[in-house]
Amino acid sequence: MSQLAIFVVLLALGYGFGRMAESRHYRSIVEREQRHARISTLTLRTLESEPATVRRTQLVSGNVVISVDYFKRVAAGLRGFFGGNVQAYESLVDRARREAVLRLKESCPGAAHILNLRVETSSIYKGRGNGIGSVEVLAYGTAVYFDVE
Amino acid sequence: MKLKPGIESLDTDNVNVSHTSPLREFAILLVSAFALLALVYVLLGLLIDRAVDWIDPATEKAVFGQLSSALDDGTPPTNAEASLQDLVNRIQQCLDPGYQVEVDLVAESAPNAFALPGGRMIVTQGLIDQMESENGLAFVLAHELGHFANRDHLRGLGRGVVLAALSSIVLGTDSGLDAVFAPASMAGQARFSRERESDADRVSLGALQCHYQHVSGADAFFRALKTAGYGDESEPAYVHFFASHPDVDSRIASLKRLSREAGYASGRERPLPEALQ
Ligand SMILES: [Zn+2]
Repeated sequence: MSQLAIFVVLLALGYGFGRMAESRHYRSIVEREQRHARISTLTLRTLESEPATVRRTQLVSGNVVISVDYFKRVAAGLRGFFGGNVQAYESLVDRARREAVLRLKESCPGAAHILNLRVETSSIYKGRGNGIGSVEVLAYGTAVYFDVE
Repeated sequence: MKLKPGIESLDTDNVNVSHTSPLREFAILLVSAFALLALVYVLLGLLIDRAVDWIDPATEKAVFGQLSSALDDGTPPTNAEASLQDLVNRIQQCLDPGYQVEVDLVAESAPNAFALPGGRMIVTQGLIDQMESENGLAFVLAHELGHFANRDHLRGLGRGVVLAALSSIVLGTDSGLDAVFAPASMAGQARFSRERESDADRVSLGALQCHYQHVSGADAFFRALKTAGYGDESEPAYVHFFASHPDVDSRIASLKRLSREAGYASGRERPLPEALQ
């Protein structure tokens, strides 16, 4: 019975903390996305026409590691039994991707564009077996700075 | 191309995440998993009951005899063990499981007794220490013989194996789900054994009536445990004796009821054999 109690407590804590962290993170993401909207992120390799003289180009990157909470892990475990859409992990992937791109933008506040943006998942946790697991996203691209227009 | 940077979708129109409640999803999944497992467990349990009825005592002895003799400590029986075996032999004349049951006395302070496949009964020294009369001890031994006769020890083994296999194969050991299914299945197991236990009690009372012509002292073990302060459900060593009833009082009451319904007599209790005192 104590096992069940521990499980329920872990689940409740995981859910509580997970929800709190998630809503706080989303608030921050939305606010920063609006603030950095001026820097456009493109998957193009080159710009066809340049509005001004390119002053500098530079490789920039942003990465993030977000851990799965206990509640999400158990929910996904159950999902793994029945199959189907793993809703529990969707918001994690979404947050990690947007956060990685935001960090990338924050590393080059003066840039006009990010060209050739790539988003990858890295894999620190792979093969950890019983590890709790996390979502790891690396975003990188070429920051382009123009002379003042 | 003129670039016009925009912002990504906001919370409400984010197409990359589901907008249903995670708790709802979780509840549906959990209930489905429980229902499925319960169904499989019940079906396999029924299958085991059929299989156990198939295995006659001779086959059981042949299959588990090896295991049973491996458990033998090899030392010649002490006086206490011989005395215990003698009591079992006498009760076996009233309650025969189909083969000779061998008793082992183990130096363990927690009062308990088990029926193992292959016809081996384990009795702890702690159990003997709680006894004041032969009748009380005879009831516990007859209760175990009842398990042998009802084939409960095989059923219990079979269900235990099924449970372990179910939780580890189907759910995996790393999903964290085994933590929730273990106590739940334990509850199922307890309910199952509640029926088996009260049946063993009933059979045991019948054997006492047959052997002593009365059932006085049948509840001596439980009364002794009560005085000694045992009977708390959380005491793990006594799981076997408390699986059937939540507390000692209701067990004593149910023994009274059973013997009244069967019209068993009461009489003088015999003292413990000297070797066991
Ligand atoms: Zn029993």
